[in-house]
Amino acid sequence: MENIEKKLREEAKRLLEEKRVDALVGFEAGTLPLTATPCFITSPEEADRLVWNAFCSQNLAKYVHDLISQHHNSQKRVKPEDRKKKVVGVVARGCTTRSIVLHLQERQYGRDEVTIIGVPCEGYVDRKALTAALDGADIREGSLTGDRLDILTAEGKKEIPLQDVLADNCRTCRFNNPIIHDVMIGEPAPAMPGAVQEYAEVEEFEKLSTEERWRYFTKEMSKCIRCYACRQACPSCYCPTCFVEQTQPQWVGLGEDATDTQVFQLMRLFHMVGRCVDCGSCVSVCPMGVDLRKFLKKLDKDVFDFFGNRAGVSLDDPPPLSTFKEDDKEDFIYNP
Amino acid sequence: MARRKFATLKSFLDYIGIEGDRTIFTWVSASEGERFANVIKGVTAKVQALGPATKLVKEL
Repeated sequence: MENIEKKLREEAKRLLEEKRVDALVGFEAGTLPLTATPCFITSPEEADRLVWNAFCSQNLAKYVHDLISQHHNSQKRVKPEDRKKKVVGVVARGCTTRSIVLHLQERQYGRDEVTIIGVPCEGYVDRKALTAALDGADIREGSLTGDRLDILTAEGKKEIPLQDVLADNCRTCRFNNPIIHDVMIGEPAPAMPGAVQEYAEVEEFEKLSTEERWRYFTKEMSKCIRCYACRQACPSCYCPTCFVEQTQPQWVGLGEDATDTQVFQLMRLFHMVGRCVDCGSCVSVCPMGVDLRKFLKKLDKDVFDFFGNRAGVSLDDPPPLSTFKEDDKEDFIYNP
Repeated sequence: MARRKFATLKSFLDYIGIEGDRTIFTWVSASEGERFANVIKGVTAKVQALGPATKLVKEL
């Protein structure tokens, strides 16, 4: 890991010195032990802030989209001949590159506007699982050596194997190496062993009765406080005006009505058909621990079962909902 | 494309616990009067069998 970090800093420095990128999105050490936080780097001297470890959880493609669309907006009122191009660099693992592929498929920006520094990934730590493993104790100090976390809390020292606190989406990840990249740092990571059972949880849930599924859905959604953190963190949620904030028409009511919350979640989830890359950002930022992945993974499974498509794995594929085949599934069509 | 959206929508609503018979999709042309009548009869029969909807209904 240290080796990857060193190479990453060198590469970032070189790209900024050669002015091949105007801004670089990566991770820096967080203010609390065993955390990492997204950072934006614009000068070569700052490149030493960059880190890459198992605590980098967010999907940085979100920031790439934000930066590029802000720049596009700022150029709208500039004469075409005076418009400037800006290139955003990003430190990207498998799921981040899948999100970038998705943005490119959806014509959000050009391939020449983003420079991808690919890094291998063997999963990140699920903060909620880590807190649970420590029974909620505050972490005073911590370090990661190989596959072992050494943590010092108020109650004393504790050793936790990294495998025990990996995020669920990482355990079953199929694409932990970058799909596309301009520069690759380090060797590709080995495949995650759980990838073959990626839909096991969904299949288990499908076996339940309709009422049991509905009870689970309403139970999970009753936790939601409508903070919209999931939407803010999701790289596929980039509408300039989200449907929840539209007032004409008002698609979904504000306030604490349980049905409104269910409808908000249902609509946001359904906007992810063939667009969810299973990066786990929404789950990791959710302050209430809503089990969003149970539902997102179902959409992923359906799109793969019905149309043989996985989100963001190839630049040549069109988005699954903007294309069709003559032999698409149609056994659900009602014929009296 | 509409077919794809409905295939996933129906499956997803069923997954979260909305009975599959409440989401019905079919093609009807303007010239198919009898077929249209049959579709509506079929849909009302299915919905009547299920009873009133209580899920995702907002009480005002």
